[in-house]
Amino acid sequence: MLRWLARRIIAAALVVFVVTSLVFVVTHVFTDPATVSLPLEASEEQRDQRRAALGLDRSIGVQYWDFVSGLVVGDFGESFWQSQPASKLVLERLPATLRLVAGATVVTVLMAAPLGMLAAWLERRFADHAIMGLSMAAISAPPFWIGYLLIIVFAVQLGWVPTFGSSGWRSLILPSFAVGLASAGRLTQMTRRGIVEELRKPYAVTAMSRGFSRSYTIVHHTFRNIATSFVTMTGWELTRMFTGYTVVIEVVFSWPGVGRLAVQAIDNRDLILVQAAVVVLATLVVVTNLLVDVARRLIDPRVELL
Amino acid sequence: MTAEQDPAEPTAAASGTAGAPETGETTGTTLEASENAAEPTTPETASGAFEIFEATEDTAKTAEAPEDKPGFLADLRAHLRRSPAGIAGITICSLFAAAAVVGPWLPFLPDPTQQSLPDKLTPPVGWGGTWAHPLGTDQLGRDIAARLVDGARISLLVSVAAVLIAAVLGTALGLVAGYIGGKVDTLIISAADVQMAFPGVLAGLILVAAFGPSVWLVIVVIAISSWMVFTRVGRSLVFTLKTSLFVEAAELTGAPARRVMWRHLLPNLFSSLITLGVLELAAAILAESAFAFLGFGVQPPRSSWGLMIQQGRNYITNGWWIVTFAGLAISLVVLGVNLLSQWLQSFNDVAEREQIILERPGS
Repeated sequence: MLRWLARRIIAAALVVFVVTSLVFVVTHVFTDPATVSLPLEASEEQRDQRRAALGLDRSIGVQYWDFVSGLVVGDFGESFWQSQPASKLVLERLPATLRLVAGATVVTVLMAAPLGMLAAWLERRFADHAIMGLSMAAISAPPFWIGYLLIIVFAVQLGWVPTFGSSGWRSLILPSFAVGLASAGRLTQMTRRGIVEELRKPYAVTAMSRGFSRSYTIVHHTFRNIATSFVTMTGWELTRMFTGYTVVIEVVFSWPGVGRLAVQAIDNRDLILVQAAVVVLATLVVVTNLLVDVARRLIDPRVELL
Repeated sequence: MTAEQDPAEPTAAASGTAGAPETGETTGTTLEASENAAEPTTPETASGAFEIFEATEDTAKTAEAPEDKPGFLADLRAHLRRSPAGIAGITICSLFAAAAVVGPWLPFLPDPTQQSLPDKLTPPVGWGGTWAHPLGTDQLGRDIAARLVDGARISLLVSVAAVLIAAVLGTALGLVAGYIGGKVDTLIISAADVQMAFPGVLAGLILVAAFGPSVWLVIVVIAISSWMVFTRVGRSLVFTLKTSLFVEAAELTGAPARRVMWRHLLPNLFSSLITLGVLELAAAILAESAFAFLGFGVQPPRSSWGLMIQQGRNYITNGWWIVTFAGLAISLVVLGVNLLSQWLQSFNDVAEREQIILERPGS
């Protein structure tokens, strides 16, 4: 287990290294932060000046070495827009993003597991079709639109929760649902499909023929058997949240997270800050994948992982 | 499709779910063989095992079109008749596709870019609006219905183009990785792994920051966030096909690798990869709308659904219909594509199940 874990961590670190290198190629070889920060009509002289000020006139190898050695100690460079270290800005925003993802994960799991089991229990009855239809709708709707619908209904019309910003746990409710609904839909469908398949297997048929009710069999036998794939899928949904859903939902709800910071940085032509935010989010994705692998291994020791 | 003409070639009927390696048991027996086994008395009829249930309709159909090759398409048609969800999916998809193609020539739609400030924020019919603007108008008095039809062009064009690029590139890499193997395979599959850890939105953020927003960039970003799905599934299918007799026979006749991949392996990947492509299309439409919403894609005055939501978001209190209808359009088309993909998957599953049943000794 320990050797496996060590190998897995090294592989994850390698992926992070490759991703950051790719980011460097885009931000320093194809263009450079100085050019991006200046308006298009800036003269070549101004650009050269800015490049020299930022040390971008040195050879690309030296710059890459600077970049990598900076990353190791958490130095992403200085943001133009805020005149502060980019790493500080990103780390300040990180807790808000993590809170949002945590809230969305709670929504996802608490909706998907019971609803999936319920749909499987009532297979081909009305409730099953209703749950499957609703989850299909949740998968098909763009999350940012769900966000606005939630705002229109619950904040504007009913006035139950605050519309924007992040003050107190009540402001977390709508964004969590906006991020989590699509994931909940996908996970509900997966859970139902998995349980229905398991219920056809001999062990479940035996359990039911011995007099255990269908619902008991689902909760105590079949759901445990799909637990591994449930955790894996939840992990995939987490990575989707980190990289896609939170970015748009943070914009919709003016949520002070990393995703919104990245979008604001783009609007302010601050390539250094975007780069820092993207590297941090990509690292979160890799760490999530690692944790999912560990969790799978703990749940089901039979899982053979590389 | 060569798969239909040559009964010696197995049809890869694995369901195309993303990422996971597909069942390895599907090789060996062909879809055609299973059909003939199911209905040995009528080898000339077009469709497969479904004819047992719908014999009259299908035989009537094939009598009309005798040159219809037995196989995939006919099977698909028969399967469709039994699936309301599949019919709904195809209907929705064709409606939106039609709207995107003929939209600008529809006589009853006003010009989507024509502003009329006195008419601004007219509510839709049923909420105090008139039939002049059935879905109301936006903050500049432009007709929402016309803008939705106009937006369909960009939204669908961008996502279809992106998925096509991803499918061609990803499948080619998957074929090479699976068939050639060795170092090439390691390299390609590592690249796919890295891509998995660096999903499209992140790549999109960094590329837009570096090069500025544009439609072309959005196509590229969606394509690079989707190619590895085709690579992984294509590769795992090739692994299961590689050892089958028809490939070995082709190799023994001295066919070069390129010909084996192109003529013998690729046709057997189609049904799985098309299913996968439809699934990816749903993701691509959602991704396009998200990029447009963030302002990274098409720029005003051109319109796309995501951009309409971005522009309408300041009016959710006094003009809820802008955001609502634009989002509804996205959701509907994605729903249609999702239904289509689910139906195609169930079709593949049925084909697969038939094969497995027939492979089992004694049945």
